Amino acid sequence: MEEDLCYRQEYSLKGGEFARAGEVSRRIKDLLKELGLDVQVVRRAAIASFEAEMNVIMYAFQGTVRLAVTPADVTIIVDDHGPGIPDIELAMTEGYSTATREMRELGFGAGMGLPNIKRNADVFRIVSEPGRGTRLEMTFARDGRPS
Amino acid sequence: MSRSPDHPIRVNLEKCGGCVHCLTACPTRAIRVRDNKAQVLGDLCIDCGECIRYCPNDAIESRTTSFSDLRAFRYKVAIPATVLYGQFGNDTTPNEVLSALRHEGFDQVFELSSICELYASAAEEYLAAHPQPRPLISTTCPVVVRLIQRRYPSLCGLIVPIEPPREIAAKILRATLPGVLKLAPEEIGLIHITPCPAKIVSINRPATMAKSYLDGAISIRDIYPRLLQALKKIDESTIMHHLFPANVFSGLGLGWSLSGGETRGLKKHRTIAVSGVRDTIRVLDQVEAGQLKDVDYLECMVCPDGCVGGPLAVENRFITKSRILRLVSMASEKVGVERADFGPFVRENFLSFQHPVKPIEVPLLDPDPVEAIRKATRRDELLRLLPGKDCGACGAPDCLTLAEDIVRGLADLDDCPLFRKEIR
Repeated sequence: MEEDLCYRQEYSLKGGEFARAGEVSRRIKDLLKELGLDVQVVRRAAIASFEAEMNVIMYAFQGTVRLAVTPADVTIIVDDHGPGIPDIELAMTEGYSTATREMRELGFGAGMGLPNIKRNADVFRIVSEPGRGTRLEMTFARDGRPS
Repeated sequence: MSRSPDHPIRVNLEKCGGCVHCLTACPTRAIRVRDNKAQVLGDLCIDCGECIRYCPNDAIESRTTSFSDLRAFRYKVAIPATVLYGQFGNDTTPNEVLSALRHEGFDQVFELSSICELYASAAEEYLAAHPQPRPLISTTCPVVVRLIQRRYPSLCGLIVPIEPPREIAAKILRATLPGVLKLAPEEIGLIHITPCPAKIVSINRPATMAKSYLDGAISIRDIYPRLLQALKKIDESTIMHHLFPANVFSGLGLGWSLSGGETRGLKKHRTIAVSGVRDTIRVLDQVEAGQLKDVDYLECMVCPDGCVGGPLAVENRFITKSRILRLVSMASEKVGVERADFGPFVRENFLSFQHPVKPIEVPLLDPDPVEAIRKATRRDELLRLLPGKDCGACGAPDCLTLAEDIVRGLADLDDCPLFRKEIR
């Protein structure tokens, strides 16, 4: 069945593994390029998945990134086991951040992560259960943004 | 000899022993060993020369301009990379090196360090006039430009649209010499002397103009023995000190052959200097992920420590670096090059690209999106069957590349000796 055609890949992340930060989003980006996606779609997916990856590394214990590419779109779902986000609306505000000083010194935690993901994804959903974890879902239409 | 068209890198089949050193050294996975000989895949090669560096049999060669090609020109000008000054004994001065080039048949030698300084002031101006986007990326290393065109198409617009010093120098000479010498432009040969295998590609197929201002590039390796002989012959009386008084050498410009040399001239901006091809790739990945937006200028040189580490240099890069640093400290920091010094030839946009850097299409898994998804899935399945040793025995650099070659129809699962052993 043509509609069922889908490339799937799963990557795991560990909280605190700053040394490997960016690895998963880089692999996603390389793959999307090979699959012939539009340069700007790849760029937006790379930026959004990098931010999501950093969120897991900075705040959660562990996480998984699931990538699904169909002929129509790219979906990236990031699930983590972590503290969760008590007030999502607040977390979505540009500049709001709970990053520690160490994280900021590394150049992260400027409070732009989630807003940046939302800006770059065509469809963005966030669900969080405080004390358990967070799920981010982002979709990128293959032929650019849907009207 | 076998080589892919348009690339200078070629494999000397007599010397190639079919080992795997070049396979694993290649940062773009562009080499395969077939029938016990290395092959370079032209669609993937970025001419960085890592394979030249790592081949234990010296079997990988770079096609550069030959001395017999020079006979086509009535008037020959050498434009040596400043790396050349660090290739000879500690007591050899740049003046002697330049005189040796004249001794070897060049009618004129053009000193590049002042042009590097000119570039730096033009880059400073450009950065000030264009606060966005960031980071801007230097054009000096032709391999970086090629790498961006192929692997980072979305970063093409970040390349500073200023021609590198070698091209600026050639452009100035093109504009002045024919009139002065009363010769037709094609009678004048402008030849770069370089430690870099990629310069010949940037001359034959420039990324930012219809035709390069240079006519060729001779490798330091090729010209070294001749210069060594010439240096023995020249004495104080034949050194043309009047042509190159000490004040033509710019300390800032001489330092350009070292990583960080270029950014040293951009004091008003936040800069990063990267050297080595793998680290360059890592940093460009970061730029593409939207990081480093708070950096103004990114200098990337794919050779370790900068051009001093060029694979076609002769002296090892640590000694070269030490000698160049000494020259930098002896020369005055700046020789005060102003764009106006170049008079009527430096009009507005004289230093600019003719056209922006454009992406080069890379081979996709499949042009059809549906088929590409199928092939990617199949590649992952194959990868799970392979041993994951990345040994290179199949002729591909690693298991992932073999899996990819299989789905592209270029290889077979049986090419893996460990897989064959297992199913037996």
